[in-house]
Order: sequence, then structure tokens, then C-alpha cells
Amino acid sequence: MNNVKKQELIWTPFLILLSREIRRFFKVMAQTVLIPIVNSFIYLLIFGVSLGKHIQVIEGISYLEFLIPGLVMLGCMNNSYQNGSSSLLGMKFGGEIVDIKASPLTVQHIIWAMSLGGLCRGLTVGFVIFLSGELFYYFYESSFLIPVHPFYFILFCAIGGLAFTKLGIAVAFIAKTFDHVSAIGGFIILPLITLGGVFFSLDNLSPFWIKVSYFNPLLYFINGVRYGVLGVSDVPVAVAFWISILGLLIFHLAAVWTLKRGSYQPW
Amino acid sequence: MAILKIENLVKNYGSFQAVNKVSFAVHSGEIFGLLGPNGAGKTSIISIITTVEKPTAGSITINDMKLNQHEKKAKSIIGVVPQEIITHGYFNVEEILNFHSGYYGLINNTVRINELMKKLELWDHRHKRVRQLSGGMKRRLMIAKALVHSPRLLLLDEPTAGVDVELRYSIWQLVKELKKMGVAILFTTHYLEEAEQLCDRVAIIDKGQIQKQGETTTLIQKLTSRHLTLILKNKIECSHPALINYQNNTLEFRVPYSKEMGKFLSELNLQRENILDMKIREGTLEEAFKYVLNQGEL
Repeated sequence: MNNVKKQELIWTPFLILLSREIRRFFKVMAQTVLIPIVNSFIYLLIFGVSLGKHIQVIEGISYLEFLIPGLVMLGCMNNSYQNGSSSLLGMKFGGEIVDIKASPLTVQHIIWAMSLGGLCRGLTVGFVIFLSGELFYYFYESSFLIPVHPFYFILFCAIGGLAFTKLGIAVAFIAKTFDHVSAIGGFIILPLITLGGVFFSLDNLSPFWIKVSYFNPLLYFINGVRYGVLGVSDVPVAVAFWISILGLLIFHLAAVWTLKRGSYQPW
Repeated sequence: MAILKIENLVKNYGSFQAVNKVSFAVHSGEIFGLLGPNGAGKTSIISIITTVEKPTAGSITINDMKLNQHEKKAKSIIGVVPQEIITHGYFNVEEILNFHSGYYGLINNTVRINELMKKLELWDHRHKRVRQLSGGMKRRLMIAKALVHSPRLLLLDEPTAGVDVELRYSIWQLVKELKKMGVAILFTTHYLEEAEQLCDRVAIIDKGQIQKQGETTTLIQKLTSRHLTLILKNKIECSHPALINYQNNTLEFRVPYSKEMGKFLSELNLQRENILDMKIREGTLEEAFKYVLNQGEL
């Protein structure tokens, strides 16, 4: 059979898989975008507004202000991770992984298309959480929270979102059951994110726990975003940047390694 | 021209050898049947060609390109219909075909996609999700996906398993049309009459090894015999070594293809007026298959 059309095997497969990824999470919007937003709304209401009146984390900054960037990053990273892992698990469960592997898509195509798809979901959720935060902030402070360094705000969200989708891909690819992915998400990722400084500053911890926190890579992602929004951070922003980049690189290599070595057999 | 060439392919899962030094080629405009019992290694071979599984040893060449060196380009000319139905939870038929076309480097491939949907009777179901389709429709969708980029090599892993007679017949017609267009087709099936009808050449595989391969008709002639049935008016004495059954004036002989039927009949020394009826049944691929697997008598 003669092809009427000429195949373009570099950008087309990548862009099509990326569009599939984005359309996938928009098709299940309630699950992928609305639920995380409702959760963040509750956090803002309870911690930011109700309990937050009695909490002072950093001099001159209200707890609501302190909380917003952390929640944005929490939503962004958690949803990016969920997107990478659930998309790949769906492919394994439904057998679509065979289609993907049998096609001319390369490992780099798959990882980057899925990562950018996950990042889109992470940024969408993060952006809407930020808007919700602005709503609360305006209600209580009668002004908007303007990011001090918007470039850093977007940069750290992007690095965090990309890194965590890649982690989700790696975890889902080596997982043998749905339980494995939930266990890693629930027992490792979520505690690391929440203990990475979403709700508190390192200044509130004892010296021992400050030292322990420095080993939590998520501290650097979250503080990078906080620097972008508030101009303050528990760690120097350059350190946060390079450790976040290192995290991104490690998670990328983990995803490449699993996709090159792992099994493409459907469940 | 060989579109697919497999040489000394080996696949081990731990100590279990699923594929053992398998070699064969599939040429342009040829249907090659890979036949074997469950667990013989057919799907493992297809999985290795599609790179879903990695081979332990051996080489695969697709259109003169080594698969391990030119994976992307080589895979761009392969269409695959896997054995298991793929569900694609979130998308409808039209979206699935558009995505699949894109994975093979083709965008705005609407003409081809519409043509396939109409040909495979998916047009009226194009806005349905896979789970809303019947079993036959799901199978048609799998075939449409495999053909969306007009492949030069088509891998069909039991495409007619569990489909009704009508769909099976239309799949046969489609396969024959693709063959005429020059597509090389590797076909696995459990239905031996199907393989006999469709395949130009077959390989019989068991325990990961090819036991026999060759042109379908030649293989049948080599491994089986014709069955000659004679119904006589009057009973006769017959002790010919080819006689396999003699009941109620009906004699049944197994006649090797190497022997001309006329010569064989004259060997029997029968009076023409004593013969009421005569039937000749050709050997079948099923008999050849059973012979190879059991190495038994026919």
C-alpha cells in the first residue's frame, strides 16, 4: 500500500501523545481538577482563615499569605504525580501501552509528552488554587496578593510539576498493582510534600528537625515557589533552584530507566 | 522481497525458553501463517517484532532495516492487531483512530480514517467509546487502527478469535485485498481451515521451535495423504497396504500424494462395473498440523 501522506516521525507522534494526555485529564475534569481545588479551598478556609488568625510563621506575613504558595505547589506537584501515574496505569490496564510501544514513539517522546501533559494538569490546578487563594486574601486583606518574583513562581511550579509527573511515570511503570502506586503516593510522596514546608516555616522547628528537613527535597521546590510569591524562603533561592533541577534530572533518569528496562505487557 | 526476516530468534523467560532459534521470512504480497497450540510461542514472536518484548538472541530485519538499529523507522511500517482487545477508556472511535494515526506520524489523515471507518462498518459508531461497542466492533476498531497508516507489514495475532462467521468472512476478504496490494501479512490463528484458505506459506511451531515450514499446499501434500473411498456393488477380497477401512462394501484408502490416482486404481485390479461410487478427499492442514505435533500416523 502506498502512503498518500508522508510520515513525520519526530514531532507529530510527540505532539499527538501530548494532546491525548491533555484531553484525557480534561475529559475527567471533576476528578482531575475540581476535587483538588475543593480540597485546597478547605485548607484555605480552615488553616488560612480560621486557625491562621492565631498563627504567626514569619514576621510581617499573615498565615494565609504564607499558606497560599505552599498550597499552590502542593496541588501542582500532587496532581502532576497523579497524572503521570494514573495515565500510565490506565494504559497498562486497558492495554494501550502495547499500542504506544508498537508505534514509532520513542522513550523520550513518551516521557516528555506525558510529563508536559502532567505539567499542564499541575499548572491548571495550581493556577486555580492561586485564584482561590486570591479570593480569600482579597476577602480578608482587601487587596490582591501580587507575586514578588513572578518568574521564579512560574519556574519553580514548572520544575516541580515536570519532576513529579516523571516520578509518577517511573512509579506507575514499575508498579505491579494499583496498590503499589497508591502506597508510594500516600506513604512517601504526600508526607514529603506536606512536611516540606507547606504549612510551616523551618524557623518553627527544633534544630534537629530543621536538619532532617534539609534532606527533604520537596522543601526546596516549595520554598522556591514561596520565594516567587512572597520574596521569602527558608533556603537560599539559588540552592532551591539547583536542588530542584537535580530532582528533575534524577526523576527524568528514573523514568527513562524504567521505560527502557521495564515491561510493556498489559495487566 | 522479504519485508520481515527473522533469524535465530530466541526468547527466554528465566529458565523457560519461549522461542527457540526461530527463523522465517515474510515477503511482500504474502500471507504467512504462524500456527501452533496455546503457549507455543506465537504471541511471544509477535511481541518481539513489535518491541513489546526484548529478544534474548537473534535478529529481526524489517524492510532491510535491523529492528534494533532503526527501531522508529522500522516500526513506522508495521501495523499490529494484538490478540487482546484494547479498551482506550476515555476516547471515542474517531479520536482513537486520529491519535493512532498521529503516533505513526500522520496528522489530518481524515480521508484514510473515514475510508477505514466506512469499510469496517464503524462509521455509525464513530462517536462511541470502546466500552459501548460490541465484541465484533471492538475487533474491527483494532483492525482499523492497524491499517490507519497503510502499513507494509501487518501482524495479525488471532484476529478472528471470538468473532462471528460474518465478521470472520469480512476479515478474510480484507486480508486478501491487503495481500493484493502488496502488504506482507504475518497471521496467527487457531483455526486451521482459515490458515489453509488464506496463507501462502505456514510455519508450525511447538514448544518455541518451528517444526515445519513451507508452502501451505506443499506442506499438506508432504505430510498428509488423499483419502479415497470406493463403494462397491459386490464384496471383494482386498489386502492392499493402503487400505485403512473396509465396511459394508465401502473401502477406504490412504493414497500418498506421490502416487498418481490412476496408477493406484489400476493397482487395485477392480472391475469398473463393480464400482458404484468413488470419493476423493484431499489432505488438510489440520491433518498436517496434527501429524507434526504428534509425529503420529495419519
